[in-house]
Amino acid sequence: MTGHVLMMIVAGLVAGPLLGGLIAGFDRILTARFQSRIGPPLLQPFYDVIKLFGKEKQVVNVWQAFCANAYLTAASISLVLFFLRSDLLLILFIQAVGAVFLVVGAFSSTSPYSQAGAHRELLQILCYEPLLIFIAVGIYLHTGSFKIEAVYALKQPLLLKLPFLFLVLNFVLTIKLRKSPFDLSTSHHAHQELVKGLLTDYSGPILALTEIAHWYETVLVLGFCSLFWTTNPLGAILLVGITYFVEIWIDNVSARMNWRWMLGYGWAMGITLSLVNLVWLYVR
Amino acid sequence: MQTITFMLILLPFLGALSCYAIRSAPVRSFIVLSTGCILITCSLLLISYVPFTFSPETVFGLDVHGLIQIPDFILMFAILYYGIKHRSILVIIPAALQIILVIWFEVFMIADHPTTQAFYCDNLSLIMVLIISIVGSIICFQAIPYMKNHEEHLHPATSRQPRFFFVMLFFLGVMNGLVLSNDMTVIHFFFEATTLCSFLLIGHDGTEIAVRNSVRALWMNSIGCLAFIVSLIMIYRNIGSIDMQQVIRTPAGAGLSFLSLSLLCFACFVKSAQFPMQSWLVGAMVAPTPVSALLHSSTMVKVGVYLALRLAPAMQGSFLSPCIAIFGAFTFLAGAALALGQSNGKKVLAYSTISNLGLIFACAGLNTPESMTAAVLLIIFHAVIKAMLFLCVGTIEQHIESRDIEDMRGLYAKMPLTALITVMGVVMMIMPPFGLLLGKWMAMEAAAGNIFVIILAAVGSALTAMYWARWAGTLMSDPFAGIFHLEKQPALTWGALLSLCTGAGILSIAVPWIYRGLFTAAMNLNYAPPYSLKNGILENAYGVFAVLPLCLIAVLGFLQSIWAVRGATQARICPPYLSGIHTAEPRVFLGPMNKLIKAEAGNYYLSNIFGERKLTVWINLAAGMLLTLIVGGAL
Repeated sequence: MTGHVLMMIVAGLVAGPLLGGLIAGFDRILTARFQSRIGPPLLQPFYDVIKLFGKEKQVVNVWQAFCANAYLTAASISLVLFFLRSDLLLILFIQAVGAVFLVVGAFSSTSPYSQAGAHRELLQILCYEPLLIFIAVGIYLHTGSFKIEAVYALKQPLLLKLPFLFLVLNFVLTIKLRKSPFDLSTSHHAHQELVKGLLTDYSGPILALTEIAHWYETVLVLGFCSLFWTTNPLGAILLVGITYFVEIWIDNVSARMNWRWMLGYGWAMGITLSLVNLVWLYVR
Repeated sequence: MQTITFMLILLPFLGALSCYAIRSAPVRSFIVLSTGCILITCSLLLISYVPFTFSPETVFGLDVHGLIQIPDFILMFAILYYGIKHRSILVIIPAALQIILVIWFEVFMIADHPTTQAFYCDNLSLIMVLIISIVGSIICFQAIPYMKNHEEHLHPATSRQPRFFFVMLFFLGVMNGLVLSNDMTVIHFFFEATTLCSFLLIGHDGTEIAVRNSVRALWMNSIGCLAFIVSLIMIYRNIGSIDMQQVIRTPAGAGLSFLSLSLLCFACFVKSAQFPMQSWLVGAMVAPTPVSALLHSSTMVKVGVYLALRLAPAMQGSFLSPCIAIFGAFTFLAGAALALGQSNGKKVLAYSTISNLGLIFACAGLNTPESMTAAVLLIIFHAVIKAMLFLCVGTIEQHIESRDIEDMRGLYAKMPLTALITVMGVVMMIMPPFGLLLGKWMAMEAAAGNIFVIILAAVGSALTAMYWARWAGTLMSDPFAGIFHLEKQPALTWGALLSLCTGAGILSIAVPWIYRGLFTAAMNLNYAPPYSLKNGILENAYGVFAVLPLCLIAVLGFLQSIWAVRGATQARICPPYLSGIHTAEPRVFLGPMNKLIKAEAGNYYLSNIFGERKLTVWINLAAGMLLTLIVGGAL
C-alpha cells in the first residue's frame, strides 16, 4: 500500500514536467504546421527551460521568487493528488493556490503590464473556477463521490452522462492553456498591448519555475479530460488527443477577446450548460 | 463548574464597572488586562467540565429567571430612551411594542414559571465561550494602545475611554451569558443587551455619521429583538416550555409552529447582518477599529449563527431548512460580489464577514452532520482570522491615515511586519490547508446534493478568492531592495497580531484533534460524527481531506520558498519593465518624443458591475423576496 502510494507520488512528480514539456513541444510543431511553418524540434521546450535556468538571476521584488516557488509547489502537489486519486475539490483548491500565487507575484512588480496582466488573470480564475467546481459536482452526482477513485470504478465512460460538462471543461481548458480567444493575461507569444502580461517581470530561473508549473497544470487539466473516458486507456488517450487538437485549432482560428466577453460568455454558457447537465443527473 | 460559569459571565461586568468608576489610565489598562487573562483561564478551565447543565436554586435569594427581569426592563426602557433621544420612530415603535409584549408574557402567560434548566453547556457553547473569551480579550488588549492613539488624534474634551472599555468588557460578559443560558427569556435578555452594547460602541466617536449609523443599528436590531419575543410567545403557547433544549427536541411541525421558528431565524439573520439588513454592520465601520474587530469576529454577528446552529435540530426535515440553506448561499455570493467592488479595506472586510456568515447559515440549513462540522470550523477560524485582519487594518490606518486599498500599495516597504501579517491573514482566508478553507470544502461537499446551493456557493467562492488575492498583491507591490526595517508598534499591538496569527496557524494544524474532541463525543444527539479520522486525514464516503500531510507539505513548501527569497536577495534587483528608458526616479520613464512619463497602475474594482450602487438594490430585493418566502411560507 505504502509502496504504491510512494510510486504514485514519484510518478506524479515526474509525469508533470515530462509529459507537459512534450505536449508543449508537440503543440508548437502542430501550431507551426497550421501556419505553414516547420516549427521547432519536439524537445525545444526543454531546451528553453534549461537555458532559462542558466541565466543570471534578476528580480524586481524578492517576493517574486517566493511566489514562483509556491506556484510550482502547489501545481505539483495538485498533480500528485490527482495521481493518488484523491478528492477532486481538494485538487481544485490546491491548484487555485498556485494560480493565486502566480498572480500575487505579478502584482509585486509595479510595471503596468504586469499589473494589468495580473488583474486579467484574476478575472480568468474568476471565470473558470466555478466551472471546474460544477464539473466536480457533476461527477459527484453521478458517482456519489468526490474521489477520483470512484470515477475509475465506473463501468461506463463518464462522457455519456456528462456531455455538457465535458464541453464546459473544454472551455476551461482553453483558458487554462492560455489559448486564443482567452489568452488575455499572457500567452505563448508576446502581446501587442500587454507585452508578456502577467509574466512580464518574471525572468531567468524564476521564469523557468513558472514554466514547469504551467506544465504540471496542463497535465492536470488534461487529466481531468481523461476522467471522461476511464473504461479503456486507448479511449482516454484518443479523447485527450482529439480535445487537444481541437484546442490548437481554436487557438489558430480565433482572435483574442476582452475580459468582459470572456466573463459574460463563460458564465452564461458555462453555467447554463452545467445547470442542464446537473439537473439531468439530479432528476434521474 | 458553577463558579467558573458565574466567573465567565459576571467577571466582565465587574471589570466593566471598575473601568467606568476608576478614571485612571494605568489602572484601567491593568483592569482590562487582568479581566482578560482571568477570562481566558476560566474559559480554558471550562473545557474539562463539558457537557454540563445546572440550575442554581437561588442567586441572592432570587431564581435566575426572576433575577433577569429587573435588568431586562431597565434595558428595554434604555433602548426606548435612546429612541426618544434620537427621535427615531423606528426605534421607539419596536421598543415600545417589546415592552408591552414582555409585560404581557411575564405577567399573564407564565405566571407559574415552568421548570427550566438555567444553564446548559455543550461543545457548541464551549466553542463560543472560548472564542468570546480568548479572541474578545485579545481585541480588548489591543484596544488599549489603539484608543490611546485614537484620542491623541481626536482630542476629545474629556476622555471617553472609561465608557468605551466599560461597554467592551460588558459585551464579553453579555456574550458569555448568552451562549451559556438555556432559558429562552434569559437568552432574549442577553440578545437585547448585545444590541444596546453595539449601539453604544458604534456611536462612540459621537460624530454625526457615527450617531446616524448607531441609530440605524439600533432600530434594525430592535426589530430583530421584537421578532425574537413574538416567536418566544408563540413557542410557549405551542409547547408550554421556554427551555431551549426542550424546544429543539420538539421537531418542527409537531407542536412547534413553523412561524415561530422562522421568526426566530429572522431575528438571527438581523443579528448576523444578512441581506437586506446588512447596512447596520457596514455602517458600523465608523467606530474605532477594535469595535469592528469585536463585532465582526467574536461577538454580535456570531450570535445569529450560534442560535441558528442551536435551532438546526428542530428544523431537520422541515421545508425551513433548505430555504435557509439557499438564503445563506445567496448571501455568501452577494456579499462576495459587493466585497469585490470595494476599494475601502474596512468595507471589504465587512462584506466578507456578511458573506462568510451566509455560508455558515447555509451549513445550518443543509443540516447534515458534515455541514454542521463545517459550520463550527467556519465559526472558529472566521473569528480568529477576521479579528486579526481588522486589527491589522486598524494598525495600518493609524499609520498611513487611510483605509483605502489603493493607499496600501507597497505597504511592505513602510510596515513590513504588519503587511506580512495581513497577507498571512488573506492566505489563511482562502488557501488550504488552513481551517477556513477546510470548512468551505466541507460545506461545498455537503452542499453538492442541492443544486441551487452549490451553484451559488461555487460562484461566491471564486469571487472571494479574487478580492482577497487582489488585496494581498497590492500590499506587496513595490520595488523592494531586500532591506527589512521593522516598524515600531506598542508591545500589546504586536502581541495581539502575532498571537492571533500563530493561533490561526496552530489551530489549522490541530484540526484533527479539534474534530476528535468536538464531534466524536456527539456534539448533538441528532448528528453522528461524519468523518473518520486516520493519520490526521479526515475522510467520509465521498470525500477526503488530508489535513496533517497537507500541513506538513505546506510548511515544507513555505520554508523552501522562503529559502528562495533568501537566494533572491543576493540576485540583481532590476527596475520593472516599462517599455521605455528608465530614469533615476522610480516608475518614470523616457517615452516617445523624449517626454517623461510616469507609469501608474490601479486595481480593477469593476464598480460598474459590482459597485454598491449598482448591486445593493437588486440584492436587497432578492434577499427580501427569499426572506418573505421563508417567513411567509411558514404561515
